[in-house]
Amino acid sequence: MTIDLRETRLPGIGVKYAFTTARGARLVVILHNDGEREVYWYRRRSDDDPRAVIELHDDEARELGALLGGAFERPKIVEDLEMALGELLIEWIPVPEGSPAVGRTLADCAFRARTGITIIAILRDPEPVTGAQPHDVIQDGDTLVTVGKAGQYPAFRKLLAEGPFEDA
Amino acid sequence: MTLSQLAITVAVLGGMGLVVSRFGLSAIPAYLLAGLLLGPNEPHQLSLIEPSEVTDFVAKLGLVFLLFFLGLEFSFSRLVGTGRHVVVGGAIDLVANAGLGLIVGVVAFGFSFAALVLAVAIYVSSSAITVKGLIDFRRLGDDETDLVLAILVFEDLVIAFALGFIAGGGGELAETLALVARALTFVVVGLLAARFLTRPLDSLLDRLPREFFLLLTAAFVAGAAALAAELGLSEAIGALLAGVVLAETSVRGEIEERFFSFRDLFGALFFFVFGLSIDVDAIGNVGWLLALAIPLTVAGKIGGGYLAGLVGEFSRRGSFNAGVALVAHGEFTIIVAQLAASNPQVSPADRADLLAFAGLYVLATATIGIVLMKESKRLGRRLLRPRLAPESA
Repeated sequence: MTIDLRETRLPGIGVKYAFTTARGARLVVILHNDGEREVYWYRRRSDDDPRAVIELHDDEARELGALLGGAFERPKIVEDLEMALGELLIEWIPVPEGSPAVGRTLADCAFRARTGITIIAILRDPEPVTGAQPHDVIQDGDTLVTVGKAGQYPAFRKLLAEGPFEDA
Repeated sequence: MTLSQLAITVAVLGGMGLVVSRFGLSAIPAYLLAGLLLGPNEPHQLSLIEPSEVTDFVAKLGLVFLLFFLGLEFSFSRLVGTGRHVVVGGAIDLVANAGLGLIVGVVAFGFSFAALVLAVAIYVSSSAITVKGLIDFRRLGDDETDLVLAILVFEDLVIAFALGFIAGGGGELAETLALVARALTFVVVGLLAARFLTRPLDSLLDRLPREFFLLLTAAFVAGAAALAAELGLSEAIGALLAGVVLAETSVRGEIEERFFSFRDLFGALFFFVFGLSIDVDAIGNVGWLLALAIPLTVAGKIGGGYLAGLVGEFSRRGSFNAGVALVAHGEFTIIVAQLAASNPQVSPADRADLLAFAGLYVLATATIGIVLMKESKRLGRRLLRPRLAPESA
């Protein structure tokens, strides 16, 4: 069943999305131009007063959205973004401070062989590495763009943060 | 106006704004009231500030920034998204309230240009107060909020048109028509310019360092306002059009961010300076007019909104809420009266009456409107019980 989502522009305020749930409640989400979000919950479709209104800042709304979207493995690091591609996730993972992986090539670290996670790019200043190769070296301050399944990430994060890696 | 007078003024505005916002009221009537108290007219005890060239200029800046921001919100791609209620709901609201306004105007000033001005002033609700109420009273999620905002958009369009003739019209019919033609030409040329200027302006402004960005944008806005004034139109329509031109550029968000504080400061001073010109003694002249106009406004706005809601297939209570939300009058009523007061075709006596009427009328409807809006759901439940069975059955 597809959900009948109604979009309305609120001039000077933002955009409003509304739909009725299978249980007959009405949910309205307001995206304010200034980044704030509001969620209105009407217990029945015909209610003229909302039972609850939730106000969220931008970062809180993203967090809630990811939670509701089923990304329950989501770690606490705030700057991570994620995107569900069917079974797959694309995650942006900053290299933790003091990681033993720093200074090693991707081939040395063997992330894919050991955890199933593939590193597809490395974000760093001034030039990001697109299409990461086995000989690329991880540096302090890098953010790794990775593809993998949700269940593989805990092992990957542990390995990235603590090692151990064989000496090259 | 000296620096110390400015300091006291701004402090009073801030203090009074804070107090009324504690009670959930809009700041606009508070600013008017501050002007009324500190101004040269009755009551005299607090008279501190005389209207002067300086206060006039500050008010002009406020007017320019208020309309510049209205223009920035105006872009056509945004208008289209607001949907079907704009035309039907807006037209019902216009016929009902401009009609009632015209009756009040004719009763007050006879068949004259001033009557037309009064009709516009009574027709147009306050976008600022209504939107603030919708947010504060948690109405954004309600269905009928779409209708309220659509009607406000329609009113903005009508006001943009009315600005074209209020400051200069009212002489010979041919002259007024020529003026309207000039205003339309100015707007059309401006909109065409918007199409062709958007891209060059965009790339120019995008590349500028911060401080020059600010200066050049301000120059553009002031220039458009001055040009319109030079053509015998009002500064207001020039500033509005400058906003429309910049609304489609990619730097729109940045412009809003940089100029918000200018609008808030000079906008507050605009209402304050208007308050200076309100003479409470004139209540003898306009008291009966207020007593006529205020109940008609409450009835007209609620009735018009209710009807527009039913036509738009909203629930009866929802339609009632929509009408109540439109009762408050504010910035546009003041702007219209201010522009008409600078029009030489309006006689000095009518001008004084118009100013006093607009100020007191806004004080009254803004307060009544917010109080009614706060209670409208409870009122609606009392007055409009859901029908259990079709009435014919």
